[in-house]
Amino acid sequence: MTRPHRRLTDEAAHLLTLSTEPWLSCEDCFRLMDAFVEAVLADPGTAAFREMRVHLGGCGACAEEAASLLDLLVDDRDAR
Amino acid sequence: MIPTSRETDLEEPVDWPTALLPGARQDDALRRLHLLMVRAARHQVWRMRELLEGHGPELYDELANSAADEAVTVLLAKLHTFEGRSRFTTWAYKFAILQAATEVRRQSWAQREVTLEDWETWCDPQPVPEQEAEASDLAGAVERAMAVALTPYQRKIAVALLVDQVPIDVLAERLGTTRGALYKALHEARGRLRTHLVANGYLAADDRRGAPR
Repeated sequence: MTRPHRRLTDEAAHLLTLSTEPWLSCEDCFRLMDAFVEAVLADPGTAAFREMRVHLGGCGACAEEAASLLDLLVDDRDAR
Repeated sequence: MIPTSRETDLEEPVDWPTALLPGARQDDALRRLHLLMVRAARHQVWRMRELLEGHGPELYDELANSAADEAVTVLLAKLHTFEGRSRFTTWAYKFAILQAATEVRRQSWAQREVTLEDWETWCDPQPVPEQEAEASDLAGAVERAMAVALTPYQRKIAVALLVDQVPIDVLAERLGTTRGALYKALHEARGRLRTHLVANGYLAADDRRGAPR
């Protein structure tokens, strides 16, 4: 018995065709993450770190970790 | 319970890199560093607890403590790379967050098989007219582009990561590669798909979906 053929969802098609230029590796994303998150904390509208923001749009794991780090820094700031 | 920032004495010592080197202050600095790492690791595990369905605080603590221990080891090996572009505590936190997130994802997929499907599962050799009509939308165009523009490896990686939602570090571990190598393959696959879709009129050449404004 053959399995039914799968079809892409619109969401998957969107994820597959995201622009991830300019290129940034996961390793460089990790290297820059602390400075990036502090910059966002200081100025949420900052236009700096464009490559980081592109990368975070295309890499769910790095995006979760950056969001978590930002969240933790907010907790620290609020505790002071 | 996640330790509060007050409990972990975030402001001391001021010169962490020096305090962590062999000397009179090292033991105290290591103790404080470990507390920081536990705090960050617990924070991360708690954020991702929905992936640990059926488990509770005992496993959360186990994962967080394991991640914190590993993160301290990794951090100390990379201490010389700290450049002071951020606070030391921010720099340190990211090691624990990465380690904890990786451990949660690994745990959540521990009992799950990762299957890299052959493309035949997706390509119907004899599409019925209804399917042909549906394939006129972007999703259909992307399916066709995947068939002709990607290598078999790129297709399998793209489907596993973006369709089947296999966490990138889990897939890397199963394939014996790295997160970075998989993201590079995905980046190249996306570029090939976009080039093909632009050439065939499905995507505007200046389409920048995903790019920050």
